Amino acid sequence: MIDKFVQWEKNRHQYAKDWKARTGGKVMGYFCTYVPEEILYAADILPVRILGSHEPHDVTEAHIFGMYCPFSRDCLAQGLKGRYDYLDGIMIAQSCLHIRQAYTSWTKHIPVDFEYYLPMPNNVQSPHATPYLTEEITQFRKALEKWIGRELTDENIQNGIDIMNENRALMHELYTYKKNDNPPVSGADTMEIAISQQMVDKREHTQALKELLAELSGGKSYSKNSGTRLMVLGSENDDIAFIKMVESVNGTVVADDHCIGTRYFWNNVKPNENLVESIATRYIERPACPSKDWIDRTRIPHILSMAKEFDVKGAIVIQQKFCDPHELDIPAITKALQANDIKTLFLEFDVTVPIGQFKIRVEAFLEMLQEDDLF
Amino acid sequence: MINVGIDVGAKNIKIVIVNGQEIIAKGKVLSGFETKETVMALYDQLLGEANVTKDQINLITSTGSGRKAVDFAQKSVTEVTAAAKGATTLYPNVHCVIDVGAEEGRSIRVDSNGKIVDFALNEKCAAGAGAFIESMARALEVSIEDFGMLSLQSDREIPMNAQCAVFAESEVVSLLHSKTDKKDIAKAVNDAVASRITSMTRKVGFENDIELIGGMAKNTGFINALKKGLDSEIIVPENAEYVTAFGAAIYND
Repeated sequence: MIDKFVQWEKNRHQYAKDWKARTGGKVMGYFCTYVPEEILYAADILPVRILGSHEPHDVTEAHIFGMYCPFSRDCLAQGLKGRYDYLDGIMIAQSCLHIRQAYTSWTKHIPVDFEYYLPMPNNVQSPHATPYLTEEITQFRKALEKWIGRELTDENIQNGIDIMNENRALMHELYTYKKNDNPPVSGADTMEIAISQQMVDKREHTQALKELLAELSGGKSYSKNSGTRLMVLGSENDDIAFIKMVESVNGTVVADDHCIGTRYFWNNVKPNENLVESIATRYIERPACPSKDWIDRTRIPHILSMAKEFDVKGAIVIQQKFCDPHELDIPAITKALQANDIKTLFLEFDVTVPIGQFKIRVEAFLEMLQEDDLF
Repeated sequence: MINVGIDVGAKNIKIVIVNGQEIIAKGKVLSGFETKETVMALYDQLLGEANVTKDQINLITSTGSGRKAVDFAQKSVTEVTAAAKGATTLYPNVHCVIDVGAEEGRSIRVDSNGKIVDFALNEKCAAGAGAFIESMARALEVSIEDFGMLSLQSDREIPMNAQCAVFAESEVVSLLHSKTDKKDIAKAVNDAVASRITSMTRKVGFENDIELIGGMAKNTGFINALKKGLDSEIIVPENAEYVTAFGAAIYND
């Protein structure tokens, strides 16, 4: 069953093209996980997250600042190379300047039928955040209605919420298995599932998740890995090769705080009479990206609670090079983890990561975590 | 119990044979292309010097960036753990181990039991390691052995701004063209490498009781610059470049 998710992740573009041919529907590329996909599903549009390909490239230099993060550059490179040539629309919800630059450059150089900038508030802790976002999502709904040429009813919106909620709840269920002493799904396979979650039609993804969970509840295991329990956290991370390397040297990634992973699905919409407001509330209250985690740092208690819940022994803290929001958070998070006897390893990621050099660091880190038995 | 530690570094392979914690043979050779054959030749030579047979060897442990090439080793351990083990066994009061080899520099903080608390390695660049010194010695046309002593003759402070070994070499060439004295350039290079290692060591945190190991511990000018940078005395063990191999040899004691 895992293979299905792997195939989706590896053949993401072909999947979207096939989906489009099969359904006749529109495909929307999106840049940040604050985009309310509920509205897109309500409009029968397939949301596909724009991600990089982890290949060296030479096409973005003229279009994005050199000190902007490698992830934003890698995303833009995919557009400039024509790999998302099937998109009908492109959109972003405000998170950080770097990914916004990738979006604005994309709209300039790779024109599509529909483009939308959704001003997701950064101060999500303000009492004005939910009413503000409710109004912005309402405006977005109207823009979408105009584009597709039909009204989105509350029934449509409710359908969008149901599709997203069911899928997110099943991901939660999958993660409960990662609390086991011997998790039946490896960290690398979990990442394949989490990446495909952001580009495959949620209804198909949900069906596959149900089949996988049925296998797991029957005792099936896809992993023999029972190494040192690790958490990975920090900037955007879809580097499967890195996670595979960590698990090849006897680490087991059991938890994460990434926007590919738990931050994407951790909380659900609790529908009330005003469906759009209930969607806005979900995005305001979700586990925060550091660009939105102020005045209070809510990420720290969330990460500590997750580390405890998943019995984490060590944390690999990842920062995309030049990612300022995460860089500002890392000292405080590292301090909090270490104060709770969870050692940390900091690694800086680029478009491609030096696996050999990182392997030495990860192995030394794992030896450090195991050293009570060694010395 | 006779054990063997094999440290396959970027530049040199170091092998130590111990009886308990006593070194009974040690040797090094350039890594070259045929790592396994090179290791085997040195290993056989050292067995002869120690007057022991392979049957008498209890355990072989490999370490270093090329440790996986030693497929006849029963155990393998990273150079971070091996360095900490070797250094703290030699000097149990040490709380910080700095290991600077050909292509990597490491700072390792250890607690009073010799356990690693934190560590850092230089990032993606040789400007904080021995290969950079070799390159600069070539540019100055002096031997590696003379490079450290030469730098001690200078009292000038010439900052090197480049954070990259290649650009730093350009700076050295500019200094040569401006007729700057070789001893001043040698000091500038040692100061620059020491500055990078100092910065990394401050990142992991240190108290006094610092031990320097690795090939760069033979560079007196570098040691001097490091002492100044960290404002601390530094212990340099005899045979500093063998400490990691020694740590691997006694790793499972």
